[in-house]
Amino acid sequence: MKKLIAMVLAVLMTLSLASCSNADNPGNSKAPENNSPAGGNDLTDSTGYKQYGKIVLWTLAKDLEQFADRYEEQTGCEVEVVVFDSADFQTKIMQTLGAKSKDVDVFVGEPQMLPNFYEAGFCADLSALDNEVKTRLVDYTYEAGCDSDGVLRAISYQACPGSVIYRRDLAQEVFGTDDPDEIGKLFSSFSTIEDTAAKLKEKGYTIFGDTGALRWFSISSNPWVRDGQIIVDQDRLDYFDCAVELYQKNYVAFAKEWSAPWYASMAGPLPQLADSDDVWGMDKDELMSEGQAGGDNITQVFSYVMPSWGALIVRDNAEGNKGKFGVCSGVCSFFGGGTFLTVNEFSQNKEAAQQFIEFCTLNDDTAQWWLEVSNGDVVNNKAVLEANKDFQNESFGNQNTYGFYAKEMEKIDYSLITGYDDACKEAFGAAVMSVQKGQQTKEEALKEFYTTVITTYPELSVPADAPVTLD
Amino acid sequence: MSETVKTRTAKGLLYLFLILLSALCFTPFLLMLVNATRSGNEIMTGFSLLPGSSLAQNWKLVADNMDLGRGFLNSLFLAVCNTALVSYFSALTAYGLAFYKFPGSKVIFTVLLVFMMVPSQLSLLGFYNLVNQMGLIDTYWPLILPSVASPATVFFLRQYILSVMPKAILEAPRIDGAGELVIFHRIALPIMAPGIATMAIGAFIGSWNSYLIPMMLINTPSKRPLPVMVAELSAVRDITTNLGATYLVVAVSAVPIMVAFCFFSKYIISGISAGSVKE
Repeated sequence: MKKLIAMVLAVLMTLSLASCSNADNPGNSKAPENNSPAGGNDLTDSTGYKQYGKIVLWTLAKDLEQFADRYEEQTGCEVEVVVFDSADFQTKIMQTLGAKSKDVDVFVGEPQMLPNFYEAGFCADLSALDNEVKTRLVDYTYEAGCDSDGVLRAISYQACPGSVIYRRDLAQEVFGTDDPDEIGKLFSSFSTIEDTAAKLKEKGYTIFGDTGALRWFSISSNPWVRDGQIIVDQDRLDYFDCAVELYQKNYVAFAKEWSAPWYASMAGPLPQLADSDDVWGMDKDELMSEGQAGGDNITQVFSYVMPSWGALIVRDNAEGNKGKFGVCSGVCSFFGGGTFLTVNEFSQNKEAAQQFIEFCTLNDDTAQWWLEVSNGDVVNNKAVLEANKDFQNESFGNQNTYGFYAKEMEKIDYSLITGYDDACKEAFGAAVMSVQKGQQTKEEALKEFYTTVITTYPELSVPADAPVTLD
Repeated sequence: MSETVKTRTAKGLLYLFLILLSALCFTPFLLMLVNATRSGNEIMTGFSLLPGSSLAQNWKLVADNMDLGRGFLNSLFLAVCNTALVSYFSALTAYGLAFYKFPGSKVIFTVLLVFMMVPSQLSLLGFYNLVNQMGLIDTYWPLILPSVASPATVFFLRQYILSVMPKAILEAPRIDGAGELVIFHRIALPIMAPGIATMAIGAFIGSWNSYLIPMMLINTPSKRPLPVMVAELSAVRDITTNLGATYLVVAVSAVPIMVAFCFFSKYIISGISAGSVKE
């Protein structure tokens, strides 16, 4: 017994010694930096950047590590980047900053999280940069960075405008043209989408992987909520009918977004699935080889509706189809995702933090560098977009993708975005799904949609002119 | 004759059942090991019981993106400290509650039972604020010290010592003039050892796998325990690329648990067979 205790103690002591000595090192080296004046010592180097002590950045995208390295290289100021799992990021921020922590100087947020952060008072006022951001960056990213009172609190370096990513070779075959403007017309409204789908079907092709692709077009002319009332306008009803029609007439491949068949469809033909197939259990390689072998029920997916980062996913999974894609606009412009940088209200290094954000978002060189390094990420710096508008993107049939996305961004109407969007979209999507599968009538489904949203947000109501009345 | 056939079929069925049961337990484990050798894309798109060929690639991804050794040491340090504290202090408390009569002992025991019912996640908010006020955010103290008070372990050990150790056993050392702490260390602790070992397994595994509280309290990447590091690994943009790497880390992180279990389970058996109260 004694021996055992002695052994355990010995092991414990060595371990604690080892971990202490290791843990102390970063602590010791950190101390003098923290003591150095956080306000900067007014030393301005040739590039116009002041020298500051180390700042800490919390993020959920690894991208920013590259930005931090470049910042350090060019200015000599250190940025410690800490990456968190996206699933817990918001909780971590809420918890840490809820306790007014000074441990973080800059943190990121995605558009859907930002309003929560603004409301909680975590984001410092960046209105000193207001004018620059407003004039030099794409409008919608400026508006997403402002809180409900219009005070600028977050700035992004990227833009994620939506697009329809389509197959040029199939377009040539079915419609006799692969011009983005012409193909854009085929996607300009829900009724033209139905016609387009029917024409594609005649040749054995399917328009989308799944009807879920249409959900991106759910905010076209009205916000989901206005004056506390949930709005289901004609566009949304058209979206509803269109989705049901595409589904029931087998105009889609039943390959759900992010499933193996969906990835497989980017690279080539695949067997036409049935709506009852379990897409999550499928093997991409098998589908591909079956598709290549040919047969009766082989189809190809014509297009994908995704934000600009989706085009990169299509490109990276296209394999033999690389270069055969094009991008065009759809029913309406939209955006999805994007990383915004914001300064911690309780930080003691606000100036240093702001300088870093400026470097990432408002520096033309950085934007140009990022556009090249990221291999196709769309930045929101107007001057840089302008400079690259003639860039011919090989992966998209030499289309000027940056020019295209720049135009799409201008069309995004941020005033249509509300905090209720996610909940409404999800509930509406569920309603569409149940009618597609014949589980409910349209009326029942719409009633359920309203009920779900109102249960989640009791402050909302159903307007008198709604397509259905709740009992 | 018919008797042997009968027993044979019964035995056969029993074996079949046991084989099925062990296969059921083993398959997920095997899948984890197999997936650690496959690429993210393969894992996303299919299911296989044969190892893939991406082990080296996955390992490279892990090595590039995280300091596995550091995370391992951090987790091990936390788990060993926690296990030691839980074992010793819970045994001490349980012994006190079981053998000393003092005013309020019943109340204390009831309070312990009540706290057993409260899940730790519930007190997270308050705990975070407390730790923050004490200035202990981003240190290991709040991850280690609270294990001194583990109501569930105290409860178990109290019931355990009451059942294995008659009170009369304390009379002999008392007559010989041993102090109370000496009695606990020399007599009670060895008798409780099997019970302590059982609880220690739970404590070790619990600490090794704990995610939420370290995730909240630790900010410096190099101080993160393994589960938090794994979560970070899967946070890299396109999940498909590092799914295999994530499996690999999970597989590696399961090793100490198996070692701990082997060690402690042996100890339990020897402890039970060598009980100190011999008739």
